[in-house]
Amino acid sequence: MNRRELIVLGGSAAVLASTGISFADDWPSKKPVTVISAYPPGGSSDIIARLVADLLAAKYNQQFTVENIAGAAGALAGSKLARSAPDGYTILVSGSAPIAANKVVQKDLSYDPQEDFVPITVVAESPALLSASSKAPANTLQELLDYAKANPGKVNIGNPGAGTKGHICAAAIGLQMGVELNHIPYKGSPPLMTDVLGGHIDFALDAPSNYLPHIKNGKIKGLAVTSAQRLPEIPDVPTVAEAGVEGFEATLWFGAVGPKGMPDEIALAIQQAIKEWSDTPEAKEKLATLGLQAVANTPDEMRVTIQKEIDSIRPLVDAGLVQPS
Amino acid sequence: MDVFDGILLGFATATTFTNFAYCFAGVVLGTAVGVLPGLGPVATISMLLPFTFGLPVDTALIMLAGIFYGSQYGGSTTAILMNLPGEASSVVTTLDGHQMAMQGKAGRALAAAAIGSFFAGSIGTLFIVIAAPLLASLALTFGPAEYFSLIVLGLVTSMVLTSGSLLTALGMVLFGMLLGMVGTDVNSGAARYTFGTPHLYDGLDFVVIATGIFGLGDVLANLENEHTRKATIAKVSSLFPTREDWKRMVGPILRGTGLGVVLGVLPGAGVLLASFSAYALEKKVSKHPEQFGQGAIEGVAGPESANNAAAQTCFIPMLTLGLPGTATMALMIGAMIVQGVQPGPEILTQQPALFWGLIVSMWIGNVMLLFLNLPLVGVWARLISVPYHFLFPIICVFTVIGAYSISNSVFDIYLMALFGLLGYCFRKVGAEPAPLILALILGPMAEEYLRRALLLSHGDASVFVTSPLSLGTLIVAALLVASILLPQFRKVREEGLQEVD
Repeated sequence: MNRRELIVLGGSAAVLASTGISFADDWPSKKPVTVISAYPPGGSSDIIARLVADLLAAKYNQQFTVENIAGAAGALAGSKLARSAPDGYTILVSGSAPIAANKVVQKDLSYDPQEDFVPITVVAESPALLSASSKAPANTLQELLDYAKANPGKVNIGNPGAGTKGHICAAAIGLQMGVELNHIPYKGSPPLMTDVLGGHIDFALDAPSNYLPHIKNGKIKGLAVTSAQRLPEIPDVPTVAEAGVEGFEATLWFGAVGPKGMPDEIALAIQQAIKEWSDTPEAKEKLATLGLQAVANTPDEMRVTIQKEIDSIRPLVDAGLVQPS
Repeated sequence: MDVFDGILLGFATATTFTNFAYCFAGVVLGTAVGVLPGLGPVATISMLLPFTFGLPVDTALIMLAGIFYGSQYGGSTTAILMNLPGEASSVVTTLDGHQMAMQGKAGRALAAAAIGSFFAGSIGTLFIVIAAPLLASLALTFGPAEYFSLIVLGLVTSMVLTSGSLLTALGMVLFGMLLGMVGTDVNSGAARYTFGTPHLYDGLDFVVIATGIFGLGDVLANLENEHTRKATIAKVSSLFPTREDWKRMVGPILRGTGLGVVLGVLPGAGVLLASFSAYALEKKVSKHPEQFGQGAIEGVAGPESANNAAAQTCFIPMLTLGLPGTATMALMIGAMIVQGVQPGPEILTQQPALFWGLIVSMWIGNVMLLFLNLPLVGVWARLISVPYHFLFPIICVFTVIGAYSISNSVFDIYLMALFGLLGYCFRKVGAEPAPLILALILGPMAEEYLRRALLLSHGDASVFVTSPLSLGTLIVAALLVASILLPQFRKVREEGLQEVD
């Protein structure tokens, strides 16, 4: 950034600060709003980003354009948001990695999610699903663990990005059960699911929505879900704890954030709109078919969720278990 | 859903008023940019891409596709009437097409080009109908190793088949891949070649680079011959081919179509290669090779059929594998992703209306083009005589708007200007920019698949040769390289490519 840009930026920040209230007043009537989606189209994170864009567009009668910026477990999208103007016309809706985990997983992250973002709300949550290709050498989690013990370092388990919840859960299961797993990062769920379907990778730990139809028609094996209860959509698939990893429980969440300095009124307005929508029966049904559950908590509650997430990942990173490869 | 249902659904989608209208707008625009030298489909689609964000995805794609194959028709008009290729792929058409025009047979040359294109376009779309679902069902057998090998093949093809020296083309590919490295690493999130400026964190947008090189670069290059350009426009006589023309056209059209259909599917080959090879083939099989360059109708019909067939079938790898074989196809993928559609093996089941609608619209578009280009050829001829000093400022304005609107970044405008300058320099030193753009697009994909394939195999590089599909692809790539290193093959390539210089 050169000096001129800095002056311009400083100037506009001052203008923004002085007109903050009126800014929030006419939001979002001035121009279309960009909703950054941190993963490729078709995955859970992107589906949620598009649901949020649609519900806000319907409520405010304004265009909400989804822009996919996929790569580096959402860090590309995160850094883009951090560089955006905090006027409420750019928000990020994504799985938790760029909003929390990246901070501890990626050493050279160009932004700090706790410093550079303001929380809006956790939109929805779901368990992570451990699935296997039809060619995989295991039909249950226990068989997978046995196979991994017999063949150390030979088990490939895919995740939708280094440092995503899928990666972290796989590392945590490996740590607890004392097995060595080979973590393979993908650029989101759709390419990972395609490789599981084609048998190019044996296992995946990922958000469930893309896998559900293929588990129902038997083309992909569902091994376990990370939640405390089974997922109603696939009642035959046990929980990780039931399958032998005692006390294990983990939840994936998908949240909305804005850039630092975005007026609180806008954050609250978006959170309210999401809350209203998620209380409707249509929304509940739509989310259930994707294996998701609505959350729509307040910005302050989301701030706590982010802190908890980071605290829970740090020990795994310090132990060298979650590393970008 | 079987093919028949698919085609019905396609007709239902493509014939809605909106889609029909946008298809028409696309092919008209395509013909116009095809006719105008110095403005190609890549630059046009790049500029228009942001304007399609508000359209439904099928409508947007139908229009953008129309621009692409429409430009294949338009390019031949300028080539025949003015001896200037309106489009890179109509370079070979100038050889015999303009000669025919000089002999007062302009109308028959135009007819040969349009009829050949129409036939090839129809066969091309039919081929997609049959081949795309097949390839989509095979697509799951493509793992990271296979994708990597396919990308290598694409890059090698683009290198081997551009005019100029192989070394230059290799340099352009490597430069393109280096440009593709700029940005944030997809796995670790580490910044690479960003020089600390946040503008480069997302990498270089190839649309910006392509508009610079192809849009602005072409304008700069054409400014030089603004005075010499006032070539005479040949008069258009009867548009009806004689009985003898028909007899001489049928073979070349069939052969050109066959060649184009196959080469279009090959990543990296694209329409340019199709027309070159068709011309070389016609000259080889002709009983009167001495007539080539003197106004042989075969030399118009063959290449024009080939480039249009390829313009249709190059959609196959893009739609079913998500693998862009050309810069235009990468733009199409961009248009789909913005709308939340990920091209790939699942597109047939998840977006049947989009898939079939696009294919049917391509056939409808070809029908429209036949009428647009034959009876209305006089209108297009007049378009060519628009002086550049009116045209160039408009193109410049649109390239700037296009570059800016991608991410509302002024930095992108500077970047585009820089690459416009670079594109001009490339042209001056005779370095074909197409391999650079393709490498910029495919380089990061190659890296992603290479790393994934090696991670999956625990670092064992033999995966690339143990998978039969990957091995076969690499062998084809190796043969291509060998073919130009062997003296006698090199001669063939140089002959084929030099004729047009």
